[in-house]
Amino acid sequence: MMKDNVDAKVGVNAMDVKFTAKDVQVYYGDNHAIKDVSVDILDKTVTAFIGPSGCGKSTFLRCLNRMNDTIPIARVEGDIRLDGEDINAPQVDPVQLRAKVGMVFQKPNPFPKSIYDNIAYGPRIHGLAKNKADLDEIVEKSLRRGAIWDEVKDRLDAPGTGLSGGQQQRLCIARAVATEPEVLLMDEPCSALDPIATAQVEELIDELRQDYSVVIVTHSMQQAARVSQKTAFFHLGNLVEYDDTTNIFTNPQDTRTESYITGRIG
Amino acid sequence: MNDPHIAKAFDRDLEAIQAQVMKMGGLVEEAIREGSKSLKSRDVELAEKVRRGDRQIDELEDLINTQCAQVLAIRQPAATDLRTVLTVMKIAGNLERIGDYAKNMAKRTEVLSQMQPVEGASSAIRRMSKEVGSMLSDALDAYVRRDAELAEDVRHRDLEVDQMYNALFREFLTFMMEDPRNITACMHLHFIAKNVERMGDHVTSIADQAVYLATGEMPDDPRPKDNKAIYRVEGFEEADE
Repeated sequence: MMKDNVDAKVGVNAMDVKFTAKDVQVYYGDNHAIKDVSVDILDKTVTAFIGPSGCGKSTFLRCLNRMNDTIPIARVEGDIRLDGEDINAPQVDPVQLRAKVGMVFQKPNPFPKSIYDNIAYGPRIHGLAKNKADLDEIVEKSLRRGAIWDEVKDRLDAPGTGLSGGQQQRLCIARAVATEPEVLLMDEPCSALDPIATAQVEELIDELRQDYSVVIVTHSMQQAARVSQKTAFFHLGNLVEYDDTTNIFTNPQDTRTESYITGRIG
Repeated sequence: MNDPHIAKAFDRDLEAIQAQVMKMGGLVEEAIREGSKSLKSRDVELAEKVRRGDRQIDELEDLINTQCAQVLAIRQPAATDLRTVLTVMKIAGNLERIGDYAKNMAKRTEVLSQMQPVEGASSAIRRMSKEVGSMLSDALDAYVRRDAELAEDVRHRDLEVDQMYNALFREFLTFMMEDPRNITACMHLHFIAKNVERMGDHVTSIADQAVYLATGEMPDDPRPKDNKAIYRVEGFEEADE
């Protein structure tokens, strides 16, 4: 039987590690939501967090770009490092951190602005473009990365909210990559999408892997199996098992993982 | 992992498929038993029954493959469930092949019953078939009980079957050299012995699947084999193997 916390470093080349989390605890008031989670998240890899509702997977994801700072009763302990730098250090500006560690949410949430401005907003506030031509280039590049350029290039002035759900989600992904992040966090990015749009987003995730570290929280185990190379299974705030996705889905080591992925009560 | 699935129909599907494999295994064990019995007692009627019975075994294999395809398509099984479906398909294939060998034994029995019996041969083949039959029964037990230890035991027992075959091979050679009138019968008997030896290999493969189902890993130690004797050329014992 495995311990509650798996030493995630086994078989991992330290050169490839993007995020290192050690003994992370999260409390919401009295509720101990994340217990002693230690994990290494790799660069240029898609890592899936799976587990039943309330297991802490989203909470842990939100630790990685300090989104829990916005919840007054949340308290995060432990050590989380991005490229060796403590992301919770006092000198770290969470806004700068979130430019490096982008996030895509469950429901597509385009700004009530034009498609162009949705993408241009981030680069503008972070001063990434010197002039209009620069900005145009960033917008086109980002929309191409989001695999939506061909569908919107003739109507960049149209409101982003007028796109279909799947297009809106790809727009949000394009918006997230516009600030040249190093990591993309995705919290159930496909749960509001139809199967075709889901397939397009999954294809996009696979392409993004060439340049980014991608961490995706998903309720669909099939999606985790399809898109990720590493899978972490969370249960009651513990990281139960973390391994190559193929191992998790063919030969999990912990009975709780097995029960969950095979659809058993456990 | 005996907890039921949340989707009860998934449990029913998996149980149904495994029940078909066990039914198939029972029919194959019977075919081996009756095939070798008919050979020994020169019972053409029993041999004919074995030949006819192979059809049901083939049909069961088709049914199992169809049901496995449906489970894969509808349930997308993972972990133990996935391994169950994968191993069931392979085992059904192994059982079908064993059934074919038993059928072939019955076919040759019908020919051999027209000929002068070769002394001791059919009893030796019967003993060999009994061993294979008991290995098959244990391999299927190991599968049902998820018992990797028993499966490992079966894997190692195949060595005995190989040795029995080697002994028979040499015996047939001697008979044929002694009296050329024995050649036709000995050729048939040799094919039967070779087929029983092949049955043992399929049983070993079923035992491999039982290990994989139970542990998630294929057995990694090579099982012991004995085929030196038949590849040795008289007078060239030192030759490369």
